[in-house]
Amino acid sequence: MVKQDLIERSPVRNFEKSLGGGVKAGEIGVIVSKKGLGKTSILVQLGIDKLLQGSSVVHVSFNQQADHVMTWYEDIFNELAKKKNLDKAAEVKAELVSKRIVLNFNQDSVKTVQVIKTIKALAEGGSKPEAVIIDGFDFSKANPESMDQMKTFAKDMKINIWYSANVEVADKGLPVALKPFEKDLDVVLYLEPKTDCIQIKALKEHNKGDYMTDLKLDVKTLLIADK
Amino acid sequence: MSIDISKMRNIGISAHIDSGKTTLSERILFYCNKIHAIHEVRGKDGVGAVMDNMELERERGITIQSASTQVQWKDYTINVIDTPGHVDFTIEVERSLRVLDGAILVLCSVGGVQSQSITVDRQLKRYHVPRIAFINKCDRTGANPLKVRMQLREKLGLNAYMMQLPIGLEDKIEGVVDLVTMKAVYFEGESGTEIRIAEIPAHLVADAKKYREELVDAASMFSDDLAEAFLEGAETEDMIHAAIRKGTLAEQFVPVFLGSAYKNKGIQNMLDGVTRYLPDPTEVKNIALDLDKNEEQVVLSCDEKSPTVALGFKLEDGKYGQLTYVRIYQGAIKKGDELYNTRAHKRFKVGRLVRMNSATMEDINEGVPGDIVALFGIECASGDTFCGGGLNYAMSSMFVPNPVIDLSITPKDKKSSDQMAKALNRFTKEDPTFHCYVDPESNQTIIQGMGELHLEVYVERMKREYNCEVETGKPQVAYREAITQRADFNYTHKKQTGGSGQYGRVAGFIEPMEDKDYEFVDAIKGGSIPNEFIPSCDKGFKESLKKGALIGFPIVGLRATINDGASHPVDSSDIAFQLAAIGGFREAYLKAKPAILEPIMKVSVEGPQEFQGNIFGLINQRRGIILSSTEDDSFTRVDAEVPLSEMFGFSTILRSSTQGKAEYSMEFARYGKVPNSVADTLIKEYEAKRRAEQK
Repeated sequence: MVKQDLIERSPVRNFEKSLGGGVKAGEIGVIVSKKGLGKTSILVQLGIDKLLQGSSVVHVSFNQQADHVMTWYEDIFNELAKKKNLDKAAEVKAELVSKRIVLNFNQDSVKTVQVIKTIKALAEGGSKPEAVIIDGFDFSKANPESMDQMKTFAKDMKINIWYSANVEVADKGLPVALKPFEKDLDVVLYLEPKTDCIQIKALKEHNKGDYMTDLKLDVKTLLIADK
Repeated sequence: MSIDISKMRNIGISAHIDSGKTTLSERILFYCNKIHAIHEVRGKDGVGAVMDNMELERERGITIQSASTQVQWKDYTINVIDTPGHVDFTIEVERSLRVLDGAILVLCSVGGVQSQSITVDRQLKRYHVPRIAFINKCDRTGANPLKVRMQLREKLGLNAYMMQLPIGLEDKIEGVVDLVTMKAVYFEGESGTEIRIAEIPAHLVADAKKYREELVDAASMFSDDLAEAFLEGAETEDMIHAAIRKGTLAEQFVPVFLGSAYKNKGIQNMLDGVTRYLPDPTEVKNIALDLDKNEEQVVLSCDEKSPTVALGFKLEDGKYGQLTYVRIYQGAIKKGDELYNTRAHKRFKVGRLVRMNSATMEDINEGVPGDIVALFGIECASGDTFCGGGLNYAMSSMFVPNPVIDLSITPKDKKSSDQMAKALNRFTKEDPTFHCYVDPESNQTIIQGMGELHLEVYVERMKREYNCEVETGKPQVAYREAITQRADFNYTHKKQTGGSGQYGRVAGFIEPMEDKDYEFVDAIKGGSIPNEFIPSCDKGFKESLKKGALIGFPIVGLRATINDGASHPVDSSDIAFQLAAIGGFREAYLKAKPAILEPIMKVSVEGPQEFQGNIFGLINQRRGIILSSTEDDSFTRVDAEVPLSEMFGFSTILRSSTQGKAEYSMEFARYGKVPNSVADTLIKEYEAKRRAEQK
């Protein structure tokens, strides 16, 4: 399979279709679940999808070292390349790496403003990202204004932003911890563990809310399943 | 004199530049009574620290060459190998690591784990060297040893635990709390030699209890006895020491000491840590390769009665002739012994045998297994293995990176030109990453090395030690050429004008190959090329690889296969087939879409957060790819890959755009393809140069 097919047949296409186009430029999405269900895995798959399309991606990690994040990309890319029997995998990989920047922050000392500043500095230096992925952000430590700033930033720069959050989920509607940020969030997904798979539920999707999607994660590889 | 091997330690001191490593070495020498007064590195008193025994190092305040010094601490014998801090000299560091059994990782209490600490730690891991950490400079403003401990865990992934807590910090540092004995230790007297043990100050008792519990809990992972005793609250000091030692030797535990070498605080306790937790030579598994058995691995035994196996790890050319530092792995070396240099296939007799105490030396009659001694007047290169008793072993070959930068040098006068040959001859013997050759076209002498500073230091040393002044050209990156696709050839070399003729036809293909630089495959069936001429074809290809057609640099990563050909009963010869192969290669090379490769460096820049934008900018301007950036409080570290050709003069520019507050380290990562625009320029330059030469 060549790169173009990999993009066109990626399960991410289906992911976007099921979610009203997914998270578009200027929008913010959040994936919530308990630990170990595949939040980082989905984020990395979304990142790789963008990278394959030639976009630049900034991956911000609050809880993992840069090396670990790179290993995530490496593993998921290898898994995808193997599964789809990708041509010239090494070359494609080198290309992806050159468009990806990993930022590592300590949330106790680095505020959202600083994250925005760093990404702006990168953009001024000539590496403007089209997508930003923020993993391991603790919403309980953040204040709603910081999300407003992030939203403004996303709109100004025309980038899409995906967060992951490790929070308790109520039976219905948004988790309590995300409530204060609701107006800035365009898509909120919840990973619900089922017996043989992990199913993605939309807690909020643009103007719609609370419905089960047909999107699933393979429990073994944590890849978004093909249809 | 017989030495108890279990009381011997071979240790190195590894650190980021400027974390006070040389001062620390100096203090170790002082407390072990080898030198009588304390000197500062920069030589305020004109004497200078003993370990930096080259003038140049003194001037720059950095340590370039490692010297081994033996000291006595209590009833232990410690060989201290001072390792260089600058990354451009990593071969020196790596060579020292090969002979160490344990290391002290020195960190600055303010700077913490810096870019070079990471490089150095990676090297220690590569050679499986157990280590203890020492957080130095606790007297500096902003000292925070507990933060450094966290960095050891987070950035280096070490299982680090505090062995001590500081009593007072910055200019108020008085001593440390020993978490094993649960006593306060004060270092008094003019040079901290008078140790006073007292109760822990009241305000530190709670913290001390907390950190002790953490320490013992972690140590009990390595000892069931301790774990049981700990539950009952009956743990003894010996149990704790034994458990920590076990964990440290297994590289699963790193005890953290702290103090200030400059203020004479905490060194004695750290030395106790060296003797308690780092291995003696018998506890380290050393492997040699048996050259008689196709390099089969042999485990050496640290036994005096076994045949001798020793490694010459460092050469020095002193006033008295060539001195070779040797680590004995097995057997002993006695004066008058006959040893065999397995690389040079030469026997030699051990003449004078000495032990080095940095700049002074002591004559000895015998070196025991595990020890580090120096031999006089032995003709050898560094990295050679010396064996006794008919053995033909080589110590496993050290990882030697290829040089990535070239510099042309021209002697300024006749006298210098004689001296230059002498100097180069010695440098290439001492340092396997330093190469030199004479370019047959320009007739210039070219030196090659691992970075700008690496070569600069050698140019300086020529001037100082050999009184040889040279003019240097512009540093030149060591490019490579490589093909990107398969291409066929079918070439006939024919010359039948006068005299004996030449005839040879060679057909086959060339294709790109990973991992190896060159491979020759003979796929001839039915003898269309006679067997005797097959090696001639190989030779012809090898010749072609020396100089690529694009920009005249060597070609790498190529497999040449021959599968057909023809010969003539009279006119075919070795040279005819060589020329046929060269012709075939030329025919196929451009069809195989060759590309230019350049060395890509892994660059790590570190500085205050306010300069982050500047750092990003500098890297982007240099065709760099930012891989990651880590921010924490006020510091930021940016990791990137940048082509070496863009890194010239980087230190100056970095300094000026960050007010001297940022620093960087760099090491070779890989060869990468040059972008087309740059390749076009390089090719044009090469063609212009060739045209100029032809005129």
